[in-house]
Amino acid sequence: MADTHQQWLEQRAAESRAKQEAFMNDIASKLRRPRVMEKPAHPFRGAPDFWKAYEWPLEERVERFSSNFKSAGGHVERLADMESAKRFIAAKAEELGAHYVIRQNQPELNELGLEAALPNAEVSVWNSDFEQYWKARAAEADFGIVVADYAVAYTGSVTVLSSKDKGRSVSLLPTVLFVIIPLERLKTRLGEVLVGFDEAGREQLPAGIHFISGPSRSADIENDLTIGVHGPGVVYALIVGS
Amino acid sequence: MSTTSTGVPSTVKKRADLALNDEFLRKAVKFTTERLRNGKINAAEEHGNWEEWRERGRQIRLHTIAHLDYYLNLFADNARANGVHVHFASTSAEAVKLSLEIAQRKQAKSVVKSKSMVTEELHLNHELEGIGVEAIETDLGEYIIQLAGETPSHIIIPAIHKNRYQIADLLSKEAGETLEPDTSILAGFVRKKLREKFLEADIGMTGCNFAIAETGSMVLFENEGNARMVTTVPKTQITLMGMERIIPSWSDLEVMATLLPRSATGQKLTVYMSGITGPRREVDADGPDEMHIIIVDNGRSLQLGDSEFQELLNCIRCGACLNACPVYRHIGGHAYGGTYSGPIGAVLTPALQKNIAEWDDIANASSLCGACYEACPVKIPLHEMLIYLRRRKQEGGHGDAVESAGMKGFAAVLGDAKRFRGILRLGKLGQKLVVRNGEIRTKFGPLKGWNSYRVTPSLPKRSFREQWGTLEEELRHGLREMDPAMQNRMEAIARERKNGTGGGHGHHG
Ligand code: SF4
Repeated sequence: MADTHQQWLEQRAAESRAKQEAFMNDIASKLRRPRVMEKPAHPFRGAPDFWKAYEWPLEERVERFSSNFKSAGGHVERLADMESAKRFIAAKAEELGAHYVIRQNQPELNELGLEAALPNAEVSVWNSDFEQYWKARAAEADFGIVVADYAVAYTGSVTVLSSKDKGRSVSLLPTVLFVIIPLERLKTRLGEVLVGFDEAGREQLPAGIHFISGPSRSADIENDLTIGVHGPGVVYALIVGS
Repeated sequence: MSTTSTGVPSTVKKRADLALNDEFLRKAVKFTTERLRNGKINAAEEHGNWEEWRERGRQIRLHTIAHLDYYLNLFADNARANGVHVHFASTSAEAVKLSLEIAQRKQAKSVVKSKSMVTEELHLNHELEGIGVEAIETDLGEYIIQLAGETPSHIIIPAIHKNRYQIADLLSKEAGETLEPDTSILAGFVRKKLREKFLEADIGMTGCNFAIAETGSMVLFENEGNARMVTTVPKTQITLMGMERIIPSWSDLEVMATLLPRSATGQKLTVYMSGITGPRREVDADGPDEMHIIIVDNGRSLQLGDSEFQELLNCIRCGACLNACPVYRHIGGHAYGGTYSGPIGAVLTPALQKNIAEWDDIANASSLCGACYEACPVKIPLHEMLIYLRRRKQEGGHGDAVESAGMKGFAAVLGDAKRFRGILRLGKLGQKLVVRNGEIRTKFGPLKGWNSYRVTPSLPKRSFREQWGTLEEELRHGLREMDPAMQNRMEAIARERKNGTGGGHGHHG
């Protein structure tokens, strides 16, 4: 089965390459010029110039992030250190009665000692064991805990990148999401994060790059706003550092 | 099937068998919903230098389309290098054939879908059902409609025509128990149910808002999270993408991410913006094992090199022109045939088919006001295109009767003061709705099914009935003044028409 599927894929790939040529030639001929093979000059790349150097001071970034994130229905806490973050999460687990917790396998979280702080919950660590069906573990989790790679004040967004130790599911499937944002990762503009992906280049990009700007929402039942239809319905951004 | 590094040869049933803490979900959902309702969202908040952003967006789109062979080629090469199986489809039939073949190769029993205009263009659900594959729409509203056995083509407002009691009945049948007609209970049920579907499904199918040429990545904007589900959970992902969805770089995405959500829903950014670069990495424990991108032409390339219509390909599918158009807002209560509707649809539908006879003469009235152009975040001169279309239709000698009816309609609108005022009133109404009622504008009429991602209310909740009350009130009392700028524009167009000098009134000024 695998073999024939592989063969089928290879056949399609050959067809695809031939078709690609035809496609591009057709585009060029419709544009009534020869194929463009060299990278064209792109004078309008990225945001308008006035915006490219725009930056808020740290305190304003925190304020703007918080107000944007809150108006999208998220919660924001400013905490001095990771210890306080742990206490905050533990208190919420108590308050909401969380039974299943899943967290990324990130060094900051490994050091946190969440497991001991949440005696009443089963805490699993993403992809820490090859036998486990991790998507299901994330899907049944009450809490998902991640550390953000970046955050953007202007749009009130956090950015999470996938890897072996950082599942896309952990920020998506649990009912409540905690995103820890180390203060220095909070930027002003979306562009500050996006430009980095251009600079890193294709081969360095993870499979999943996700910007999250609040709880999952929908309004499809009688126009009544509901949250958490698919993604987390409660999202805490914990800004850590001073 | 082969075992993945996640080590899960578990049965489908078991995969979907989750130890969900239901009570917890209920509590949590209440918790945030209350909060969100109380916090007033200032969605239409100022975004400085809007015109500069708009111009930048236009330039990026113009540049990309003018060099589409270069950028599309680059995208395909890079996506392939990322491990994606890239396919090209000249026609909808080819795209359907490819999709079905993949489904058959994967011996798929079910496909979970997130909203995609291209798959609607292809009528893919129907085709999938035809080979015995269950196609499950996963947007909340689309899911409800699907349960009701209603097809989107007959439905203008996907689920809002159903009240919570009807929805509760539908979902209760599905649940095998009686669910209370409470939004959070119903949504909670759907969450759980669709979660099983996501975990059971063999294939996830999406559209694509933007494709980044330099890294071969695809970008999705959405609010519910189902597009993320569809691209994270199933083992195979198929993305159908119009060949013009390309932008050069992630830097350019900042401009699109600034324009699209603000124009579509007034959000600063949708709840989720996801960039997917290839299938799951070997060591990752989620994301698809196999990823296909089908690049679809289906009439798009016909616009290339056509000086009057090439800019159609700049469209980022935000729906702002629909919101702005008084005529389409008005006929919003009626079913509209094609996949694409509103001012953009009026031009795109015949353009894609190179069939100007398709052109609906209701578009005559659209060309009056230019509100679509003003609303468009990438400045597509739709109002001029409507005039070109009319001219071409005439030149093409398409049915005298039809044409003269169209022309008559147009002349009548201009000549009859009463109807003219009617149009203006509608324009006023349209504007109020856009401003005051961030939700309903996207639920109404032709706009539904148009937005390339699902939308969100930007105002505190009011019931459906209350909203109707407001609409009626606006109709009765609130429509006395008109926007003088709009009036001037219309009068100018009317004068041009009368003098026979129209046909290309400048939008660049
Ligand atoms: S044509 Fe309409 S849908 Fe397309 S970008 Fe312009 S306003 Fe948005």
